[in-house]
Amino acid sequence: MTFSARRIFAILQKDYKDLSRNLYVTTTLFMPLLMAALFGRMGMGTISSYYIVINMGFILVATYVQSALIAEEKEKNTLRGLMLSPASTMEIFCGKSLLSFIATAVVVTGSILLSNYNPRNMAVIAIALLLSAVFYVGLGTLIGLFTKSVMEASVVIVPVMLIFTSGSLLIPLIEKYPVLAVVEYMPNLQLLELADRVETGAGLGDTLLHLLVILAWVLVIHAVAAYVYKKRMVDE
Amino acid sequence: MENIIEVTSLQKAFGASRALKDVTFNVKRGEIFGFLGPSGSGKTTTIKILTAQLKPTAGSAYAFGVSTEQLKSEKYRQKVGIVTDNTALYGRLNVYDNLKLYCDLYGVPYQRIGEVLRMVNLAGEERKAVSKLSKGMLQRITLARAFLHEPELLFLDEPTSALDPVNTKHIHDGLLHLKEKGTTIFLTTHDMNEAEALCDRVAFLNNGEIRLLDSPKKLRQQRGEPTLTVELADGSMVIVPKGPEGADQMFRYMSTGQLVSVQSNHPTLGDIFVEVTGRKLA
Repeated sequence: MTFSARRIFAILQKDYKDLSRNLYVTTTLFMPLLMAALFGRMGMGTISSYYIVINMGFILVATYVQSALIAEEKEKNTLRGLMLSPASTMEIFCGKSLLSFIATAVVVTGSILLSNYNPRNMAVIAIALLLSAVFYVGLGTLIGLFTKSVMEASVVIVPVMLIFTSGSLLIPLIEKYPVLAVVEYMPNLQLLELADRVETGAGLGDTLLHLLVILAWVLVIHAVAAYVYKKRMVDE
Repeated sequence: MENIIEVTSLQKAFGASRALKDVTFNVKRGEIFGFLGPSGSGKTTTIKILTAQLKPTAGSAYAFGVSTEQLKSEKYRQKVGIVTDNTALYGRLNVYDNLKLYCDLYGVPYQRIGEVLRMVNLAGEERKAVSKLSKGMLQRITLARAFLHEPELLFLDEPTSALDPVNTKHIHDGLLHLKEKGTTIFLTTHDMNEAEALCDRVAFLNNGEIRLLDSPKKLRQQRGEPTLTVELADGSMVIVPKGPEGADQMFRYMSTGQLVSVQSNHPTLGDIFVEVTGRKLA
């Protein structure tokens, strides 16, 4: 498998020009920042409130923008052009994910600053956020591959947003319904638990298990996305 | 001459419907091979199988000596150009940015953009937004994109269906130029004039089967009448035998200045298609 920086940056540059002229998707980028500013001014200083905003950023930017980018390529029949070019699956995946990833990094950093969140161990939080961003971009790729249009992706994102921003609401129900214990392993809850532990003084070693769980999600989501992508290369 | 495409007993079924029944043909390196048939005859299905966008139900398809499944690899993608109905352009970008992306994907210098735009009669249109282009212009940009990397093998599905005669001529000249440089072209069309102007050989496809395969010239000659239609100065048309028995008659028309034009009585490719399949090309 080849890895050409020229091809990856060409796809990134194309996506940037395309997205910058797509008002429908670009306005979405400002939503998490507005929420963060609002939360910051309201003085809601709990870890879970910070992570509602951060997860919102992940879902609206990493997942939604990414799914819109992929779904639009499918809707307009341009994805097949990329698939038929010499670019490898890895190059197309990286090129198509880079813009969403950069936008997520900018929006999540902005959200952290606007909401006045100052974690006790920034390095551990940065690693966890980085891994989470990669996961949510992968989730967006998968949604984009399954949906047929940007409009469909916009509908599918709603339940995804509910699951990944309010999963913590299910935690009190775990005692009553043990089957819901699996919810604790969701990447958003792992991130929240890690952030809570960091505030109690935990370091990298203490939070490694949480990071590994998020990493496992990253690997699984990208493997599934790659499988679906390869299936989409061939018509039924 | 070496075969660049070899297809043997190819079949494709979509549920109960059989799009390709038993298709066998080969395409020689450097030729323009025309796949002719009406809508729904199996032309696009064949192109999709040959470009690894569709799996055959049975039979084999080889290009460059390898199964077309392997055309998914970078090595072969670099050698192939494809224009089908599902290869589109980015509407929000301009012409230049669309082609620049493909220059980067194929590792081609940007000055090729001007060259291919001249080939499709769109020189100077680089900065136009793709969303503002007519259907014919879009088709020409899609063709320009396929010409960018000078592929060894070019698949074209109805390449001039939305073009006017002037631009069709430009595209035909461009395709003949690519052929001169060694490109093999697999062309599907239902335009008989296009097939006759471009193709070294044509295959007639009907209901998923090849009914006839040969050069357009041979197909017409095999089915022609052994006569000539002669137009005379007084406006009358006379049928003259082609053999020695018609020589005196022709000499007389010529020596008396009566001869205006002579036409060989060969059927058109369209006539032959109707004769062989009982269907019109549309």
